[in-house]
Amino acid sequence: MMKKQIWLAVSAAFILAICFTLWQTLREKYEGEATISIADAMGGNSTEGYLRASGPRKFQFPEDHGPHPGFRTEWWYYTGNLFADDGRQFGYQFTIFRNQLTPSTMKNQGVGTTSSWSSNQIYLAHFAISDVENMRHIFDERYSRGAAGLACAQVQPYKIWLEDWTIENLEENNTEFPNALSVHIKAEMEGGASINLKTRPLKPAVFQGDHGYDEKGSDEGNASYYISFTRLATEGSITIDNQNFTVRGQSWMDHEWSTSALGDNQKGWDWFSIQLSNGYDLMYYQLRNQDGSLSAFSTITLVDKEGKKIPIDVNKVDLKVLERWESPHSGESYPSEWLFSIPEVDIEFKVATLIPDQEMNVSVRYYEGAVTVQGKMAENEISGQGFIEMTGYEVE
Amino acid sequence: MNKQHSDLLWQSSFRFLMSHPWHFVLSILGVALGVAVVVSIDLSNSSAQKAFELSTEAVTGNVTHQIIGTGGGISEGIYREIRIKEKVRNSAPVIEGYAQVEGMNRTFQLLGVDPIAEAPFREFTSQKAGINLAEFMSGANTGLISKEVGQALAVQTGDWVAITVNGKKHQLKIVGFIEARDKRSRQALESVMVVDISTAQRLLDMEGELSRIDLILPSDSLSEKTKTITAALPEGTVLLRSKIRTQTVEQMTRAFEFNLQALSMLALLVGMFLIYNTMTFSVVQRRPVIGRLRALGVQRSEILVLILKEALLIGALGTTAGIIGGFFLAQVLVKLVTQSINDLYFVLNVQALAIGFLPLFKGVALGMGATLLAAWWPAREASQQEISTVLKRSSSEAGITSRLGKISISGILIALVGGLILLIPNGGILAGYASLLFLIVGFSLVVPVIIVGMAKLLRPVLGAINGLIGKMAVRGVVTELSRTSVAIAALTVAVAATVGVGVMVDSFRTTVVTWLESQLQADVYVQPPSAVSRNADATLDSSLIKIFENTAGVAEMGTVRRIEVRTNNGMDNLVAVSQNKNALQGYQLKASTMGFWQHFGEEAVVMVSEVYAYHNEMMLGDTLFIQTDKGKQPFSIGAINFDYASDIGTVTMNRKVYNHFFEDRGVSGLALYAGNGVAVDTLVHLLREQSNDIQQVFIRSNKGLREASIEIFDRTFTVTTVLRMLAILVAFMGVLSALMALQFERAKELAVLRANGMTPAQLWNYVITQTGVMGIMAAVLSVPLGILMAYVLVYVINLRSFGWTLQFMISGEILLQAMVLAVVAAILAGIYPSWKMAQANPAEALRNE
Repeated sequence: MMKKQIWLAVSAAFILAICFTLWQTLREKYEGEATISIADAMGGNSTEGYLRASGPRKFQFPEDHGPHPGFRTEWWYYTGNLFADDGRQFGYQFTIFRNQLTPSTMKNQGVGTTSSWSSNQIYLAHFAISDVENMRHIFDERYSRGAAGLACAQVQPYKIWLEDWTIENLEENNTEFPNALSVHIKAEMEGGASINLKTRPLKPAVFQGDHGYDEKGSDEGNASYYISFTRLATEGSITIDNQNFTVRGQSWMDHEWSTSALGDNQKGWDWFSIQLSNGYDLMYYQLRNQDGSLSAFSTITLVDKEGKKIPIDVNKVDLKVLERWESPHSGESYPSEWLFSIPEVDIEFKVATLIPDQEMNVSVRYYEGAVTVQGKMAENEISGQGFIEMTGYEVE
Repeated sequence: MNKQHSDLLWQSSFRFLMSHPWHFVLSILGVALGVAVVVSIDLSNSSAQKAFELSTEAVTGNVTHQIIGTGGGISEGIYREIRIKEKVRNSAPVIEGYAQVEGMNRTFQLLGVDPIAEAPFREFTSQKAGINLAEFMSGANTGLISKEVGQALAVQTGDWVAITVNGKKHQLKIVGFIEARDKRSRQALESVMVVDISTAQRLLDMEGELSRIDLILPSDSLSEKTKTITAALPEGTVLLRSKIRTQTVEQMTRAFEFNLQALSMLALLVGMFLIYNTMTFSVVQRRPVIGRLRALGVQRSEILVLILKEALLIGALGTTAGIIGGFFLAQVLVKLVTQSINDLYFVLNVQALAIGFLPLFKGVALGMGATLLAAWWPAREASQQEISTVLKRSSSEAGITSRLGKISISGILIALVGGLILLIPNGGILAGYASLLFLIVGFSLVVPVIIVGMAKLLRPVLGAINGLIGKMAVRGVVTELSRTSVAIAALTVAVAATVGVGVMVDSFRTTVVTWLESQLQADVYVQPPSAVSRNADATLDSSLIKIFENTAGVAEMGTVRRIEVRTNNGMDNLVAVSQNKNALQGYQLKASTMGFWQHFGEEAVVMVSEVYAYHNEMMLGDTLFIQTDKGKQPFSIGAINFDYASDIGTVTMNRKVYNHFFEDRGVSGLALYAGNGVAVDTLVHLLREQSNDIQQVFIRSNKGLREASIEIFDRTFTVTTVLRMLAILVAFMGVLSALMALQFERAKELAVLRANGMTPAQLWNYVITQTGVMGIMAAVLSVPLGILMAYVLVYVINLRSFGWTLQFMISGEILLQAMVLAVVAAILAGIYPSWKMAQANPAEALRNE
């Protein structure tokens, strides 16, 4: 009886082998794919056809609080340090970016479009909360085309929004300071954390650089228009982990637009915004070159209690890195503690990040974190809060 | 059993097969053809299905739910509402349409997306795929095609291609290529063209509208979320699980695929008969050998195993050949199947065969199973015989003659059971085929007795024509009844299958032609080119309609609108007609309520097609709920009409009523009536000239449309025709194999005749006449069986799978074809044995044993 079984087995094996061969040869082969980040997607480095920041200009308000189509990039930047009733501290960042994909001179190749979806504007928004007590930093990112009612920036009534992340004027049609930029900020992360804040400028707008014209490089047009509200009284609520906190504190707002900011040899920047306990506000950024040296186009602005700019020679500012922190996410090594001295006005203080990990791992990676300040100004003890932004620490 | 012993047995078996190579090869071929047909049909069906799944998967991505409109598109404001107000972050707007690309003879799916919202849904359309957003969403005509299509068109990034959308020509700049993750999705994406949502809106005239909104809803808070979303949706839009949509589409082709499968099984059944014939033959031939083996002490079970082993060898070889052949055949069939699906249901591109284990396994199981099953009785018979009877030559003939009555009665009984199966209410298609099987088996059991009868009739006739040899030839058929009857029965079944399928297709065609003649009342028909031939889903330009209405020579105009609506039965085709009384009279009603036409124009009354009523089990007076722009509304079924254009059925509504319930004012087609004395051809020409700059549309005369419709009909039945051809081929092989083997087996008898003075010419005459007689007998028998099969196919299987009433139509042509097939094959089968026998030295042949 053995024979029979062998026969059956041989026939079955034979047929199976044929089926298997057929199947194998025709089986699909999986292949990899290439992905490109939003930063690359937004790319295209040609500045041709775009408007450029080429010299000081006369600002028109409220129009200049709104968008500046024709320039490639623009942002409305809110950062702040807020405290709950029990003293628990939170840092927040809320920014809406506008990016123009093609120069305004480029028309739609002769096609008359009637669709509300076509657009050359992309809006991007970043939102982060630093929960100091729990040493936690959470963030979210959104983007959308600036069309079809999904995202836009407008002046009348003042509203900068990306879907349900909004910056809206508190009092409609009020264009007079300080109410012009008293805004209501609302945003909710995918995970449920949210802010619902009202901010009111305590000082008039500061025009950074040369009357708001801020040079970033020696090339013509490598500059931006840059306006800040350095101190905004802020109150509202923060929800994190389903817990709602009533908070109050101070925020800082930047509105900046440009077509090309960094020069070819520039690698990144360190940008500080500091609100001191004595009522002074300080903005300082340094541009770092590829070779590690500092660019000549660094800027410092010290604003007194009334909002008046105190002139300082940026070359006499000294900034020493005391500590560094290596990101476990990206491997990048960021400074985390600095010694800041401005002998001209007799300021020396230490700046330290409130929690080490405040890296923004979104489509464009950077560091944006709340800092605390401790030091002296004219022999008086001062403290302060602020934010540090760092880019260009990529591991080569 | 020891090894040597078994080897000896097998060697004897092997020698036998080797000494009858023709017989051996033909039986393998019989199995191979049967298996090839089944495997190829299965492969092409599963490939079409796979392609559909892949393209659905590729295009729907990870969607869990979709928001769709009750009739056509939805307002884009709903997207803002859902995304911003309802905070459904995983939402994406989608616009779907079709486009033709110049230089490529197939339809592309035009997919309009917002790449920024796409990431959770579809990788290839998302920003992550590296789409150049600046170019893509600028509002210009820019888009993406797959790399393979780009290569086929020799197009590089930045090049322009000419496309046609809804009959309008556009230039589209290719700004990138779709990168598929793997080969599977690459195939699916080869028929997709991705454009920005703004571009899609413009190309498809859908400004402010979307086709649907794709959603991914979290499973944990699903019911709550769906409730809030549903509450936020305006009338006329619904939230559906995406699977439901896919399933609806899949169900459409189910009956179609099942029918093809059943036809392939029919081919296997015929193949099985041939195998049975072959195996019986080989047993009958070896009676003496088997008898001697038994006398030498070989056991019954050993004989049984031996015969089954032979069958296994034939089965294995035939199955292998069949699977390989089936694979090649499938390459052809898949094109035909896809064509039919494109004509009937939806746009589908099948780029490659999907080789699954299942079709192959099925092929193996069927091939081996059918062979073993067919060999079982002959094998059993051989082993059961008494040794002495086996040794006697005439015993089997004596056996069958004495059992003729019993066999015939059991045949009649089996056929009756087959008939009774048909009476089972709601028996389904499977019961239909089961009944068919019983009828065939029953009929073939009655064949021997009929052969005896026919021989009696034929003997004097052939005697008159061909003298003694004619008489001898007929007599020979009866004396060897045990062998000839099996061969003739196999032939009969094979030929009858071709008759059955032929008559079915013919009946179908005649019915459709008659229906078209009555249905098409107007003189000129206007339709935008549509992706699915039988389903005009595109819209006519409104300015064009005005121009046509006012064209001199146009006396009257009727309109048709086709949309998909959601009813209580699922997604259905709704047709809104605005036509004059005469045109309405053109509708052939199967049943209607009193004063139906009066109600039809004024009230919420609809007419459903026969197929629709059948599938959804609806009757006159029943209420059909349709999701309209004014919510879910009840419509009374006032009439059931004949409609052979759609096998999923349609719901027809008066345009007046439609306008009341739907906001859509689009028109999918026009029916124009020429004024008195206006030549139709001149009018068609005039209309064509006027439409040139506005929209590319089909303008066809009544005759032209009818011809085009019939052309599509014929195209959809190409698969069936091919299957019929294959059945004919199987039948032909069967005739050859059976008759040739029969004649070879008679070598000794023929040698005796030669030795007794028969000339080679007379031998030729004798052999050819005999095979010819058998051919004629099979031909005659195949007519009633074929008609019986056609009857079951038309009135049972077609009705149960599609629900159509067909006129039964038997054309002489098909019957003649079958007869010629049987007789020609039979005569051909006689040629080789005649030649061989005539050449052979009779002394040699006699000495052989």
